[in-house]
Amino acid sequence: MELFFQRLVDGLSQGSVYSLIALGLVIIYRGTGHLNFAQGEMALFSAYCVYQFGEWGIPIWPALGLGMIVGFVLGAVAEVTLVRPISKKSPFAVFVVTLGLFTFLNWLDGAIWGNQQLPNSGVGSKQQRYPSLFPNDPDDVWQPFGVAIRIERVGIFVLVLVITALLFLLFNKTKFGLAMRAVASNTESAKLAGIRTNTVLMVSWGLAAAIGAVGGVVMAGLNSNVNLGLMFTVFIYGSAAATLGGFDSPGGAVLGGLIIGVIENMASGYAQEWIGQDMKLSVAFVVILTVLLVKPSGLFGTAKVERV
Amino acid sequence: MKSMFSIREGGAASWALRLVAAAIVTAAVLWIPTSTGAGSIQTAIEALVLMSAAMSLNILLGYTGQISIGHSAFLGMGAYTTGILVSSYGWSPWLTFPVAFILSFTLGVIVSFPASRIKGVYLALVTLSLALVFPQVVTWKKLSWLTGGGSGLPTKDAVIADTGFNIGAEARGQMQFFKIFGWDPFGDLRKPDNKAAFWYWIAIGVVVIVYLVARGMVKSRVGRSMVAIRDNETAAAVMGVNVVRTKALVFGISAGLCALPGCVTAIKTGGVSPEGIQSITVRGAITFLIVMVVGGAGSLWGPIVGGAVYVFVTDKTGAWSDDDSIPALLRPLFGWAKVPPSDGIFAILLIVLMFVAPRGLVGVWRQYSPRVVRVIPRPAGAVGPATMATVAMSTTDSEGEHE
Repeated sequence: MELFFQRLVDGLSQGSVYSLIALGLVIIYRGTGHLNFAQGEMALFSAYCVYQFGEWGIPIWPALGLGMIVGFVLGAVAEVTLVRPISKKSPFAVFVVTLGLFTFLNWLDGAIWGNQQLPNSGVGSKQQRYPSLFPNDPDDVWQPFGVAIRIERVGIFVLVLVITALLFLLFNKTKFGLAMRAVASNTESAKLAGIRTNTVLMVSWGLAAAIGAVGGVVMAGLNSNVNLGLMFTVFIYGSAAATLGGFDSPGGAVLGGLIIGVIENMASGYAQEWIGQDMKLSVAFVVILTVLLVKPSGLFGTAKVERV
Repeated sequence: MKSMFSIREGGAASWALRLVAAAIVTAAVLWIPTSTGAGSIQTAIEALVLMSAAMSLNILLGYTGQISIGHSAFLGMGAYTTGILVSSYGWSPWLTFPVAFILSFTLGVIVSFPASRIKGVYLALVTLSLALVFPQVVTWKKLSWLTGGGSGLPTKDAVIADTGFNIGAEARGQMQFFKIFGWDPFGDLRKPDNKAAFWYWIAIGVVVIVYLVARGMVKSRVGRSMVAIRDNETAAAVMGVNVVRTKALVFGISAGLCALPGCVTAIKTGGVSPEGIQSITVRGAITFLIVMVVGGAGSLWGPIVGGAVYVFVTDKTGAWSDDDSIPALLRPLFGWAKVPPSDGIFAILLIVLMFVAPRGLVGVWRQYSPRVVRVIPRPAGAVGPATMATVAMSTTDSEGEHE
């Protein structure tokens, strides 16, 4: 039973990262109808920046704030300079451009920070491990009902809940959130009603990248280092989460991420012989394929009607 | 558009131009194995492998509009088929090519059925996860009896590991000579130069086969159905195109053709594992896409041009993480980077091309070459003077005939 709870908590904290990536995907999808293939790599760039801030002696929480700002600027600039002009051409062009951005950012990370994992004493890192947002020494354990649970894991889960709540407030209680929802439901009408749709889309991309930055930092913290391949699989899990929850439902994305995290951990824990650590990714693959075939709109998304 | 020369397709000048083009290509193909060392032949083989993989992707993506970032899995199917059959069952590598085609064709057809429901970027998502899952499946410990697990193939026979799947071997010994009806074009295959040249011609053969199949498909009725599906799937279905069957066929052939360069890579590398052959991983799939888009999506020569450019740039800049090997003029531009710049260059090129020339380098060529020489296409179906009336109408229709 203790093992079950530990796996549950591990799954929830792992799933929190997927939720953050999925949230970013959903915010962009709602605004523009595009799937941002560079979401994971934007997050990775911010995660590398946070490492760099740590090297300069900035504590982790302010560094996270700066990393989110970097992410926001990156996302907003990408939207204004690349995605907005190209989206007039064709969806395929947008796909290629986001893929180009994916390749470029991954190369840029390598070009600036090198292709070995960081922190790395071999290249003169001052930090021992990637800074964690929550206490994570071996004795930082919380013990409710005799089950040992790591504080870091609980902290991450709570952090995601807080971010989700803040986003909920932003979407539903502010004027800007109203504008975002208007753009999501009908861009043309929103424009006619006097909403600055371009600003809204720019901020949406920035927001998505900033949330992704948190995901990247948390993931690197859980992994205790950051490397160039870190976000490949996380991106797939994140898109599986967004697919499961429905691509236009932020709440669905968070829930989807948590569900995928738990399934993944349970599957690799209880079916060690068959799935284990090596075949974990097949869980995401099966989820994406099944959802798209059985219920393409996901659990909480709105079904789309196709017109000729 | 004004052009300096204007010639008629099918006329003497047009044939002369074609002959010159063919002579240049033939000269380049012949020059590489005869005048350069094993190192550059190996690089050329890499380019040929990329060309054939990108061409097979082009059938699916460029012509039919189905986005796939999963072709690395099909290439992996080919590589593993050859690896398993040669090293575990002692087959001749020649026989593994058709087997790899059939297996990968089947996998492609299977993938096509969900693909007829899943569209656009969602299909990209599914194929991307296929590309990420494939290396996990082949290194899976439950399958290690077949695929050799994490260390890959070959696992049993050390002799094979030394010789690189000793292509065409009779029995299990190393093949020394390759003779066609008594003619021995390569000499002693135990010398690295001769061996490389031998593999080079196999890779050329694969490129030619893939090109001919792609050309045959594109210029046929199936090709017109493919383009119709790409441009408007619903309209194509209404016009009587069997969308599901066409997609299944295109997926199958595209996947099957993509397995062939996999077989070549397996033989060239002399072993198969996700670490050893990068084209099996998702990076490979992205590379195929870059090669195809940079060269020109939806054109037969696009992937060939793209593959040549890609490998040329990657090879020339491969050592640039070390500052001293960068030409002095470019050092301020690339000196700061800790990794070779080719990925960054192609990412930027990809984005820029999408803005200025969505049809790639071949598209740029088609747009600007008529300023110098303009080939007036032969009107469709015009043979004798009886159809001269249609000439005036159809000279404006210059698409298609140039492919």
